[in-house]
Amino acid sequence: MRSQYRLGIDAGGTFTDFVLAENNGELRVFKSPSTPQDGTIAIKAGLSQISEALGKSIEEIVQSCDLCINGTTVALNALIEKKGVKVGLLCTAGHEDSLEIRLGHKEEGYRYEADFPPAHMIAPRHLRKPINERVLSNGQIDQAMDEQEIRDAVAYFKAQGVESVAISFVWAVRNPEHEKRAKEIVQEMMPGVFVCTGSEVYPQVREYTRTSTTVVNAYLSPVMRRYVEKIDEYFRSLGAKYPVRYFQSNGGLAVGEAMQGRAVNAINSGPASAPQAGLFVGQPFDINNVITVDMGGTSFDITLTKDGHTNLNKNIDFLRYRIGVPMIQVETLGAGGGSICHVDKYGMLQVGPESAGATPGPVCYGKGGTQPTVTDANLVLGYLNPAAVLGGAIRLDREAAIHAVKAHVADPLGISVEKAAFGISTIVNLNMVNGIRRVSIERGYDPRDFALLCAGGAAGMHITALAEEIGSTTVLVPKVSSVFCAFGQIISDVRYNYLASEPMRLDGEDVNLAALNDKFGELEEQGREHLLSDGFADEQISCTRSVEMRYVGQIHECTVEIHPGKITQEKLAAILDDFHKRHEELYTYSEPHNPVELVNIESTMTGHVAKPDFQDLIAKGSSAEEALIEYRPALFDADGHWIDTAVYSGPKLDVGLEIQGPAIVEEPTTNIVVRPGWTLVLESNHCYRLTRRDA
Amino acid sequence: MSSRVDPITLAVVRGALETAQREMTLTLEKTGRSSVFNLAHDYSNALFDHFPEMILQGQDIPIHLGSLIPAMKEVAEYFGDDIHEGDVIYHNDPAYKGSHILDCCMYKPVFYKGELVFWTVCKGHLTDIGGPVPAGYNPDATEIYAEGLRIPPVKLWDKGKRREDVINLLLTNMRARRDQEGDLNAQYGACRVGERNLLALLDKYGVEQVQACIAELKNMADEQMRALIREVPDGVYTGSALLEDAGHGFGEMEITSTITIRDDKVHIEVQSPPQVPYFINSYEGNSMSGIYLGLMMFAQLPPPYNEGLYRCVTVDLGEKGTLCNAEEPAPHVNCTTTPMETLTDAVRKAFEQAAPERVTASWGHASGINIAGIDPRTNEQYVTMVLASIISGAGATQVMDGWHACGPLCCFGALSSGDIELLEYSYPIVIRRYGLIQDSGGAGMHRGGSGTVWEVEPIDHEMTVIAFGEGREIPTMGAAGAENKLLEPKLGKLVVQRADQSEEIHKKNTILTVKSGERVANFNPGGGGFGHPLQRDPVAVLEDYRNGLVSLEAAKLEYGVVLNADSIGVDQQATEQLRQARGATTTDSSQSTSTKPTAQ
Repeated sequence: MRSQYRLGIDAGGTFTDFVLAENNGELRVFKSPSTPQDGTIAIKAGLSQISEALGKSIEEIVQSCDLCINGTTVALNALIEKKGVKVGLLCTAGHEDSLEIRLGHKEEGYRYEADFPPAHMIAPRHLRKPINERVLSNGQIDQAMDEQEIRDAVAYFKAQGVESVAISFVWAVRNPEHEKRAKEIVQEMMPGVFVCTGSEVYPQVREYTRTSTTVVNAYLSPVMRRYVEKIDEYFRSLGAKYPVRYFQSNGGLAVGEAMQGRAVNAINSGPASAPQAGLFVGQPFDINNVITVDMGGTSFDITLTKDGHTNLNKNIDFLRYRIGVPMIQVETLGAGGGSICHVDKYGMLQVGPESAGATPGPVCYGKGGTQPTVTDANLVLGYLNPAAVLGGAIRLDREAAIHAVKAHVADPLGISVEKAAFGISTIVNLNMVNGIRRVSIERGYDPRDFALLCAGGAAGMHITALAEEIGSTTVLVPKVSSVFCAFGQIISDVRYNYLASEPMRLDGEDVNLAALNDKFGELEEQGREHLLSDGFADEQISCTRSVEMRYVGQIHECTVEIHPGKITQEKLAAILDDFHKRHEELYTYSEPHNPVELVNIESTMTGHVAKPDFQDLIAKGSSAEEALIEYRPALFDADGHWIDTAVYSGPKLDVGLEIQGPAIVEEPTTNIVVRPGWTLVLESNHCYRLTRRDA
Repeated sequence: MSSRVDPITLAVVRGALETAQREMTLTLEKTGRSSVFNLAHDYSNALFDHFPEMILQGQDIPIHLGSLIPAMKEVAEYFGDDIHEGDVIYHNDPAYKGSHILDCCMYKPVFYKGELVFWTVCKGHLTDIGGPVPAGYNPDATEIYAEGLRIPPVKLWDKGKRREDVINLLLTNMRARRDQEGDLNAQYGACRVGERNLLALLDKYGVEQVQACIAELKNMADEQMRALIREVPDGVYTGSALLEDAGHGFGEMEITSTITIRDDKVHIEVQSPPQVPYFINSYEGNSMSGIYLGLMMFAQLPPPYNEGLYRCVTVDLGEKGTLCNAEEPAPHVNCTTTPMETLTDAVRKAFEQAAPERVTASWGHASGINIAGIDPRTNEQYVTMVLASIISGAGATQVMDGWHACGPLCCFGALSSGDIELLEYSYPIVIRRYGLIQDSGGAGMHRGGSGTVWEVEPIDHEMTVIAFGEGREIPTMGAAGAENKLLEPKLGKLVVQRADQSEEIHKKNTILTVKSGERVANFNPGGGGFGHPLQRDPVAVLEDYRNGLVSLEAAKLEYGVVLNADSIGVDQQATEQLRQARGATTTDSSQSTSTKPTAQ
């Protein structure tokens, strides 16, 4: 029997977004202000809205859900704001500085200035304790571990108030014995304190990456645990059928238990669902080059999908921390509706990265905000209807917005309020365009070849301006755009990556197919059990595999996808062939006569989740006039020339009608500004398609 | 200026050129065989147009990049009309403006519809180039002929055909042949990846539009540099730096640079002593790199980086046959670090006279080791430069402490030391220590970054260790009144711990062997400090003490900071008294911007 609903909840910096999909394909979207101190408060508020809208109790709704899914920025925010817990690191004596040496590299060529200081240390030097022990590259123990040193170090950690312990020893990936024992001692001496080891968190060769990933994980996991425990408990109390699923940076879901000790896997939890949602929306138009831009209250997230493929990064510097585990590539800037505008000491107008967040929020929300924000400027410019934001849930105070823009921007700059508001919009657009350029132009992709997909509650008001700046002529705005990541989450599967190191030469006597098959079997059995315990049936589970290989003497690997199932000599020959081909594809040459070695293996286990069955919209044959709400003065240029602009109600607008800009379309949770020169059509897949006429 | 190309296309072309270059770099890293390529990134890639002028200088190793400009022209001129589609040219010789013979450079002309449009160029440090000493650093060579194989411009591919005979000739002369062959293939891959990207760009936008964009990018770089030079007051400024005697016995040498600024033009003149029969002579190509690095460190310009930057710059390297303008038969293999870094310091010093507010402290020089031996696991020969051993400290600036572990000066942070597990996997060694050195950062109001120590032990074999560079006698140059009192930890050295527990300390370039159970620790210098150390915030000194970067002794001696008995706080009163007795005006750095102590 299929359950009636699926619920997606994406907790962003400003708003928590809700998507409720009914099994007849109907989608409902809701929003409530985020409550970073306790995520469940916002969730309760959102569920109350849903309960009211459906006329059913919260318990009834939750119990009728097959899945409740949560994306969260809790780990990301803690990393950005440096609000993780105090971490102590136990590491191999002689290598306690690898975290700070950072491979001796400066990430940006000739840059060496105040804005580019040395990287922040999560574990400062005095909290990185050297332990005399040593494993060699072949896994042999060269020096036994000095347990007394561990005890002394842990005593120091306790005295220093350390709240989380990372353990990462050289070559523990080859022999985790010392790490395991050290963990036992820490657990014994600091019961209840979070502890994780390198060989658990990132079991791959590369000491610096492994140590750094482990330290970041130790820094964030206690924060994540507090969050997950609250959410899980709340949903259990409502009688949810299955545990809440959380969205991970790899584009898949995981249960809370898997998340709370692996916060490093969830750093990009929210935005990582955007690419698959973008492809889903673009599919009917044969669009598989998509740039998704998600502008919420606090941040602006960009992803790029080319030919249907989104980059999954491993071993990258993220916010200047080296992180090994796979993550969907997301570019994030501090630009959102809540971004605060001010005039700096040089008389330059600055927008963001500070945000007014959900509290106090923009001035026009009347909740105590005094600094003008991008949303206030949009209200002044006529893009927002003071009475119709969030379906009327919040009424906006335009006078207060005008006053704030005047006092903080217009007067200091000696310009009119209109000019100031338009200037705010121009600057935030410029910041966002630079971000889009970084993921496209700077990687050699021409943004003109991409559709711009609009997500997040605030993006609709900027999207045509952004498209003009980057030269894109197609814009997609799904009706669920304001809760796009939550939407992406409900069409996602549960996915776990299992990594292992299994080095062997693939020529001569060293080939040990039995060991390789065993290792894959072990990983996949682990994954299958995990998914079964998550509530999946065997037939809903699938597996993909990849191996990382290189020519003997190389250090970096090429990833080759391989088929599941037993690896035989014949299959091995085919894998080798694929490797040579892949090497040639990437680097223009191969060396088929040279020996190849296998290094890492990975199994990705997916628990398939049935997708909601979305129904197409059917044209009712109504005219545009029937959806017209009013004509409202709005400003589209710096010249201060107000245009009486047609404002349409999105829910009343019929499929297939062409709306010419300038126009504004109001949806309950977002507004679309159709700048002059653009045409908007509502398509049958619940998505607005905007095209530029003169391009 | 009015632009002939639309700004979006210009931006896309610029991005595509950067991507082409970046992917070349990535190819070398991912496919290279030696740790110098695949871990340390001791390579550089650049794109040239048909003139040939450099149109994109990657953010790779500065010491490589400057020399590519004259070398590319030299190579193109050598072959003249005899350059065809499918050709690949190779070269390392300093007499043809290469840097040093270990830096082998590949040049691939890129033809589009029969017309030469671009060159993709890839320079990389091979781990061996033949000659009597593994890894090429031969301190006993008195002539270039005794250093290794010189490769004048030569075609490795001729109209698309790989010349096995020539490649075989080169590889036959090198140790660890398989590594060298793998690295040569990697260079070929890099050039072709660059070519592939450039051809796609030409397909999309056409030669004419792309060339118009490139002209625009060069003009942008030119204008930026001129605008900067215009801000510097006209005048003649001189700076000099001392080069220590790292084992040759000729004593200290002085390199002087004189900079003349006139409106938006800069002329740089170098005076250096006569060349010496020791491997520290720098030929023209390499010296140009040193000068450009000194200029770029001063300029701190945003990209684009291309030959346009240097249009307003003229250089006179001084008389032929001198240390910085060497000629045959001068030996030269150490030149990319020594005397290059001292030359860069001289240029930096001259700019400090011209615009003191822009100049930062210098970075630690390279004092490192190469290792070689027979790998007992495979019985194959291995040889490599250990770039982890030269990761020194960066200089402090007006506004911040220097970065730890980011040098040496000649690489400006572009190197990577490589993951220790990957190094231990590649070579039969155990890395016992790779850490920051206490008290190594230059003392100053802003402290220099710490240098690093790299300690290694061979596994089950006898290993040859070859020391090169300097920075073991003269500490890194500070700026704006920085002053060191505790010199020893700020200098490089090589410490050998023998099986009988005896210890040898080496301060000169030397070749030695170590056995299993013995260890070699290479210490390299920290970065220079900025401003007087008595003006450093005592709380920052306390923090450095807590993190073991500054000792109790140095806190007192260099910074005039006295800690409480329990060492968890600053003894304000004692600190105040000590600093006053030393002649500081105030102990509160935030209230003072003066960079020199004033007598009471």
